[in-house]
Amino acid sequence: MIATRPTESVHPKPSFYHEPGRYRGILSWILTLDHKRIGLLYFIFVIAFFFSGVVLGFFMRLEMIAPGGAIMKPQTYNSLFTLHGIIMIFLVVIPAIPTVFGNFFLPIQIGARDVAFPRINLLSWWLYISGAAIVALSVFTGQGPPDTGWTFYAPYSLRTTVNIPLAVFGVFILGMSSILTGLNLVTTTHRLRAPGMTWRRLPLFVWAIYATSWVQILATPVIGITMVLIFLERFFGVGVFDPAKGGDPILYQHMFWIYSHPATYIMILPAMGIVSDVVPVFARKKIFGYMAIALSGMAIAAVGSLVWGHHMFVSGQSDFANLLFSLLTFLVAVPSAIKVFNWVATLHKGSIVIEPPLLFCLAFIFLFSIGGLTGLIQGALAPNVHLHDTYWIPAHFHYIIFGGMGFGLFAAFHYWFPKMFGRMYHRKTAIVAWVIMLIGFNLFYFSMLLLGWEGMPRRYYDYLPQFRPLHLTATFGSWILIAGLIIMFANLFRGLFKGERAADNPWGGATLEWQISSPPPAENFETIPVVRHGPYDFEELKRDG
Amino acid sequence: MAKYRTYILVWVGLVILTGTTLSVAGMNLGGWTVFIALAVAGTKSGLVLNYFMHLRSERLLIFRVIIPLVMAVFLVFILLTFADLAFRGGVR
Amino acid sequence: MGEAKELVSDEARDDTGARLGMWLFILSELLLFGGMFILYSAYRYKNAVDFHHASMELEVLLGTFNTLILVTSSLSMAASIAAVRRGQRRLSMVLLMATIALGLFFLANKGFEWGAKIEHGIYPNSPTLLTRAKGEVLFFGLYYVMTGLHGLHVLVGICILGGMLTLMIKDKINRTRFVPLENSGLYWHLVDIIWIFLYPLFYLIT
Repeated sequence: MIATRPTESVHPKPSFYHEPGRYRGILSWILTLDHKRIGLLYFIFVIAFFFSGVVLGFFMRLEMIAPGGAIMKPQTYNSLFTLHGIIMIFLVVIPAIPTVFGNFFLPIQIGARDVAFPRINLLSWWLYISGAAIVALSVFTGQGPPDTGWTFYAPYSLRTTVNIPLAVFGVFILGMSSILTGLNLVTTTHRLRAPGMTWRRLPLFVWAIYATSWVQILATPVIGITMVLIFLERFFGVGVFDPAKGGDPILYQHMFWIYSHPATYIMILPAMGIVSDVVPVFARKKIFGYMAIALSGMAIAAVGSLVWGHHMFVSGQSDFANLLFSLLTFLVAVPSAIKVFNWVATLHKGSIVIEPPLLFCLAFIFLFSIGGLTGLIQGALAPNVHLHDTYWIPAHFHYIIFGGMGFGLFAAFHYWFPKMFGRMYHRKTAIVAWVIMLIGFNLFYFSMLLLGWEGMPRRYYDYLPQFRPLHLTATFGSWILIAGLIIMFANLFRGLFKGERAADNPWGGATLEWQISSPPPAENFETIPVVRHGPYDFEELKRDG
Repeated sequence: MAKYRTYILVWVGLVILTGTTLSVAGMNLGGWTVFIALAVAGTKSGLVLNYFMHLRSERLLIFRVIIPLVMAVFLVFILLTFADLAFRGGVR
Repeated sequence: MGEAKELVSDEARDDTGARLGMWLFILSELLLFGGMFILYSAYRYKNAVDFHHASMELEVLLGTFNTLILVTSSLSMAASIAAVRRGQRRLSMVLLMATIALGLFFLANKGFEWGAKIEHGIYPNSPTLLTRAKGEVLFFGLYYVMTGLHGLHVLVGICILGGMLTLMIKDKINRTRFVPLENSGLYWHLVDIIWIFLYPLFYLIT
């Protein structure tokens, strides 16, 4: 463990767990206005939804272990992959880091007592829960869960008899939650920075959440209206996406992807922010190229909003649009690459400390790079014709989303666990889980890359015998991955109750959250700090004490 | 600071512009019609944004940025969509 | 009487922050309608002649009248805020009530307009409409969705303004605390701006 710094005050204040506010018991949680409690409320449900998404995935892989039907009918399989996508994307990956760690840590990292609009923050959580409940309703009522894929493409989504209206309404509500979180965090960053906390002294995690929040505000409304239109089409036959009435289904795809591509940046930017915060701490070295990383995040948000057509290369889109979108897709790789170079440059000649948070960040860099490079391959027009709608695509995005965002999320779990809970997990177990996960992950998803390359179509229930060995490997890999996940979560869960008491600054971080007690007091700071150094100024930290 | 007089003047401007766009609609200007209609609507919106919504008197940078930002975002969405729609038959 | 300045920085209250948050929400609403405008422009581009024919069936005078109603309601809204900042409480409430009344008038006209169309068999998925050209079907589909969504926003705005009126009666909105009213005003002006674009795009297609 790294030497710590004395805490703020001699008499430790009660932690925020002991300051319930206006209400008692469960109400002190579900009616709280404390950003830390709201972050934890999101934490519980994000993990619960993640587990349910994993279970769905487990059964999908189990079905695909052999050609033909194994344990379910084709319709069930269609619903499984639809639900897996809806849950993972809208209930886990998009919200997770901003709502859990953005809520908990952004105010503390900027030296504030809470977010700009605490009541809206609570409303965001209630909308999240409501949206989730509505999606759950769509599974268990009417003619059953949606079977369109999470993308709800028209005209099938207009005609299929299952519970599309409920599902899209749920997505709409979730979108509202996302927009409100975004505007809350942008306003907080603008208005509540402590004296001396200039934009250039903000932790890169804050910069990342800031960029993400802008995308949430500006892109989410477009999927909002698209979901409303699906709803209206089904009930009133409006005609905007229905070819029989002159509608253009490709326009649906435009509207859908105008949000859903930037949504992938909502997913990845916060995780990149975590890596940018964690790597310097465990290299004991200032981040290489602070402004480049900060601004590349904004650039990713901006350019990433221009590439959505790369999901539509074979849809019937014009050649001209195809060329344009392909070019823009190649451009957006540049700011991502800048980040990867800068992280590696930070590690170079650093004083590396091997701890679980760093290991998860290193895994991020490796897996995200593979994901990113495969993205370039499919972003080129000619290969895309062969790779589109094959297993290559889900393999690519699982490398990015799971390997990237997921491992970044796990890094955050392991980095901020002592701060949030005042306890430490078992270090060796975390590392063992990490190793197992890496092995399982690559067995699983690399097999899928190969399957896609060979032509295995995605969202298919059945397949030709020649694909069997790779499917078997993938399913096997999924079991190893899940085993790793179980060990990791069990370790964290155990640490929650039986872990050693954690110091206030076990990692020697220089950002503000490490200068207050673990767990933090309700008001975060005794007095609002005056900031005099940058977020990775470890020299200053040593001098301070 | 907000003056009643300013508001009334803006209102007069809005009424005049509404009349303008109505009468222009009666003329046959071909391809220019949409452009003029949007230009008038844009001007009216500009009046509402700047005077009724006080954007003009905001000093912080962020307030000056947000409307151009949303216009740019919308423009990009619509232009790239038209890169598809307008060229479906191939580039001539 | 001079106008009270808003609070700039205070531990418990940040008026500029509240306004910024409202503006960010307005941006999201602009893009919500923006999505519909993308669809509108796509379909108008593809069905220019049909759109023109369909547009001729809308009552231009009614649309123009409604535009003037909303524009005037924006005036009364802005003036209402100016009045409360000058401590002219009665005037402010009268202007706010006028705004609400104009909003209701707008909705009544809209309802009348819709009613007339529906009576003529022109509504989404109606047998009459489906016999028309595809472009006209799309025009009316977009017409109902966009003016309907806009009308919903007007209705919500009226409710919000009603709430503000109540707060003003209870003196919870006054010379020194008027930011909720100001933010409600921003919302109301947004609704006006959206209509400023809807009007020429639906009623004035030549």
